[in-house]
Amino acid sequence: MLRVDELAVKVGKKLVVKNASFSVEEGEVVYLLGPNASGKTTLIRAIMGFPNYYITRGRVLYQGRDITGATMELRVRLGLGMTYQIPPKIDGVKVGELIKEILKRRNALNEYEEIVSTLNIEYLASRDLNKGFSGGEMKRVEVALLAAQAPKLALIDEPDSGVDVESIMYIAEGLKRLLNEGLSKSMIIVTHTAFITKYLRPSKVCIMKEGVVRKCGEAGLIEEIMREGFKPW
Amino acid sequence: MVGFSEWLESIKKMASSAFSRPAAYGPDVNIIELTKKTEKLTTKADLRRIEEVGIDLRKAERAAFFFQLDDAILKALSRLPGVEMRPLHEFMVDDFEEAQKYVWRAVNPGTDKYTAIAALRGTGGYFIRIKPRAKVEDPIQTCFYMAGKMLQAPHNVIVLEEGAEATIITGCTIMPEVAGLHAGVTEIYVKRGARLNYVMIHAWNRVAHVRPRSAIKLYEDAEVVSYYMNLSAVKTLQMYPKYHVLGNGGKVYSASIVLGRTDSTLDIGAEVILEDDGAAEIISRFIVRDKARAWARARIIGTSGRGHIECKGLILGDQAELYSIPELGGLGAGAMLTHEASIGKVAEEEILYLMSKGFTREEAEEIIVRGFMSVEIKGVTPKIKTYITNILKLMSKRTLSG
Repeated sequence: MLRVDELAVKVGKKLVVKNASFSVEEGEVVYLLGPNASGKTTLIRAIMGFPNYYITRGRVLYQGRDITGATMELRVRLGLGMTYQIPPKIDGVKVGELIKEILKRRNALNEYEEIVSTLNIEYLASRDLNKGFSGGEMKRVEVALLAAQAPKLALIDEPDSGVDVESIMYIAEGLKRLLNEGLSKSMIIVTHTAFITKYLRPSKVCIMKEGVVRKCGEAGLIEEIMREGFKPW
Repeated sequence: MVGFSEWLESIKKMASSAFSRPAAYGPDVNIIELTKKTEKLTTKADLRRIEEVGIDLRKAERAAFFFQLDDAILKALSRLPGVEMRPLHEFMVDDFEEAQKYVWRAVNPGTDKYTAIAALRGTGGYFIRIKPRAKVEDPIQTCFYMAGKMLQAPHNVIVLEEGAEATIITGCTIMPEVAGLHAGVTEIYVKRGARLNYVMIHAWNRVAHVRPRSAIKLYEDAEVVSYYMNLSAVKTLQMYPKYHVLGNGGKVYSASIVLGRTDSTLDIGAEVILEDDGAAEIISRFIVRDKARAWARARIIGTSGRGHIECKGLILGDQAELYSIPELGGLGAGAMLTHEASIGKVAEEEILYLMSKGFTREEAEEIIVRGFMSVEIKGVTPKIKTYITNILKLMSKRTLSG
């Protein structure tokens, strides 16, 4: 579904991603693990097509199509979507209304109740987006917005950092729902804690360190990381 | 007791003294030059423009209705016994003694050249009285339309008797390219325990000058919730309604949502004087684009009570200007007054965030602008809330359209 070949990404003048190669097949949940500041967020933002994330080498293929130079708008239309690690606070934009606006785009308003109840965010519906939210509330709302968008390939940035256990469970439920109902075909989940892997098992694990994807392997790699940390890589 | 003509003479005398006095704020307008020009008079009202300011002439879901086209009062009707609606001049002639308690009592005709021209050459306007303890659910709609005359200066008086409740929606609009002056005077008296929701919507044109003059007096436990929305370009617009909270427990909530486009000059605000243990909240959302210049004013002066000002501004375009001027004045140790103000632009980070959720750049900008404009809509019926929300949606579309 997605292939990233020898990607290098600059943010401003700084080369953050030096060499990233990995692939995601349809139906896979790929975890991208690595210590803080290893370039994981930059990598998925470059895949998503954010401006100011300059791909200086390599290419991104999505469903066989080279999207390395495509705009974010086109990538979204092709089926990519993402959640933020720290989403912005937006005055006056109500959580519930935004979810509905996104659902309306794919004629799926009927999913609203299920989404807000799965993520336990009914009580946040009339609040301004992310204003005064706890870490867990922010992440749950992010996943609710993702669920409304239902991208074929979901890029999920640190859903489990700074989040209580209960919220991680809701987030995992929200992600599982997307996969089980076939709304999302595949996911790339960025994490440095790997807490969420307990609730949503990986199909594949990639380790990223110092801007380089060092290794990709099977789910068992998580246990190795838990035992030894990122030092061996 | 003075006679009717003596009273009118005294008003004219006060007004004459101010005929060349500029307003304290905003650009000065040569009203003699402006109002002596003649335009081809159109006597037909454009229904679309009237609907734009929220007045639907075909719908009857209203407690009372007033419509003035240039100088002419075409409608002044009430459907309910609890609502008295009539042309102000009729009230002044028929109830001369009572009229003296309300007419030119809250607004001084000698304030500036605009109150002066309203007192000396103004015509039309209404008298609305909500009877004691009447709870009027359907809105009272009033509309002022300028079709061809160069001056429209109506005088309105609203009285809510003790315990009364009502919603008044006022829409003011003009034909395109009529370069006139609108200088309406409105005096409002909200008596003990009464509650007024007052919604005013302006849609002018790029050559019109607008100088409304309003004053509101609130007595014990009275409450006023006011929403002002400006939808269109205007040459110059200056207004600074003054709320005078005279009684203990009086409450004011004033929200202004203003869009400045083309080369409009806008100077808009609200002032609250807290004489007793009342509460005031002044909220404003200003958006300026093109070459518009705007001053967002707010002032709360209190001897006691609580007051808060929140002025937020958004600048869309490098040639637009916005100034935010919140003022607080505590007279003695009894008042608790606070303010917050900010001016900024639409954050690129927010646009990209929404684009990553599937919106186009234009849609993302519209969502952000609509969010920025949204203010707390409180104390009104669901129908009025929907009405205000729809006007705000229209405004956010206009903000970004060419």
